[in-house]
Amino acid sequence: MNGFFAPARRTALHRANPALKLTLFVGLFILTMLTHTIDASFYLACVFLLLLFAASGYPLWKTALLVSGFALAFASASLTMILFGKGSEIWWTFGPIAISKESFYRGLHLGFRSIAFGCQGLLFVLTTTSTGLFYALMQRFKLGPKYAYSFMASIRLLPMTVEELRVRRDALAVRGGGGFTPFGALLRLPERYALPLLAQSIRRAQRTAAAMEVKRFDARSRRTYYYSSPVTAADAAAWLLLAAAAAAAFWLAGTLPVFGLGDMRTGL
Amino acid sequence: MGTKIAQAAGRRKGLTLTDVLVTVVLSLVLGVVYHVWAAVSDVAGLLFVQSNELVYGMWFAASTLAFLLIRKPGVALIAEIAAAHLEIAFGSAYGVQLLLYSVVQGLAAELVFAGFRYKNGSAWVAGLAGVAAAAASLLADIYYGYVAEYATWVIVLKYSLRAISSFVIAGYLMYGLAKLLERAGVAQSLRPVERKEYDALDR
Repeated sequence: MNGFFAPARRTALHRANPALKLTLFVGLFILTMLTHTIDASFYLACVFLLLLFAASGYPLWKTALLVSGFALAFASASLTMILFGKGSEIWWTFGPIAISKESFYRGLHLGFRSIAFGCQGLLFVLTTTSTGLFYALMQRFKLGPKYAYSFMASIRLLPMTVEELRVRRDALAVRGGGGFTPFGALLRLPERYALPLLAQSIRRAQRTAAAMEVKRFDARSRRTYYYSSPVTAADAAAWLLLAAAAAAAFWLAGTLPVFGLGDMRTGL
Repeated sequence: MGTKIAQAAGRRKGLTLTDVLVTVVLSLVLGVVYHVWAAVSDVAGLLFVQSNELVYGMWFAASTLAFLLIRKPGVALIAEIAAAHLEIAFGSAYGVQLLLYSVVQGLAAELVFAGFRYKNGSAWVAGLAGVAAAAASLLADIYYGYVAEYATWVIVLKYSLRAISSFVIAGYLMYGLAKLLERAGVAQSLRPVERKEYDALDR
């Protein structure tokens, strides 16, 4: 990967154990998914957006660039519900579209939730390396080494596949690939791209795996690890930070409600 | 000598590192296809309401293709997780939730293959596994996206299109691709070796 995803500074979230951090973020995901009031989802989105800027360790402009994608996520999460959701207090209808008060606020709620999910997910991804995560999963959660090393090796094999795709596309362009009609060309796509790329990748994976088995990458008992993955004070700090952020969001929703509406699933 | 070979056969019955690595690499190649497919899905979405569901079955393709090639318990689940892991590895904001979705969907596909005791690799069973994954995604959507609160006709349209697309793409299309790979000669070395093939060596 290029240097874009290299953090400028390391925060407590970077230093925390990746495996424990994963459970923290899965917990946050479940907490957010069980949030059914629009005030709580609004403040969760706000608080985790702030935390993302503060604790991801990336320059402001990079984070802003990544966050800009959430506008689309907000729209795609909320629009279908706003236009086609159930509701009794109808504001506007046009053909099959019926916008009601309930569906409108439910749609906004889903949009806020998707921003909260996105911020949490981005915060995890930006502070974790793939290698660190798998070493931590092996040492802390006893994930089988054959799984961990397979996942790590596959990431290294991927650029070769992308390179092959490029070579194949260029070769077909030179030789004049494709059918006589656009539709015929589309039908032959699996044969022209999927088959050779998959076949090559499978063969390469088999060869790599044979070498890894000989070197006992899959041995479970009495093994040592190149990177140690301890539990440190940074884990407590990460736990406190995330718990405080979630608590702040629910406290704000209780004391400073913006919408003041009830459970989003059962009408308002 | 015969018992020794039989022991070797028994030991290699579970998932080996080779099985896992091939499954993961296979899913990552499909993960690259998924990135292209997101654009296809956007274009398909312009046809009519919820028409992007017409191509939705591709998201379940990794698990059925992996099972059709390797035919061992567990590969369908690993394949789904591996495809989602690609998103985490390349910094997608929705990586964590895709991971949880993939576990639910992979388990559903796995259950169908287990229901046929991992013996049946027909296009029909693969299609059924795709439909099961689609049903699991509906369950996840009810919690995640409140889809139960959509107008009834939208729910029916959305999920019947998704089920059909899963049956065709994850079932028949992946079956065809697996057959092509068999003809190319890569599938034979992936299959678990049957006991009678070892017995044939003793004779």
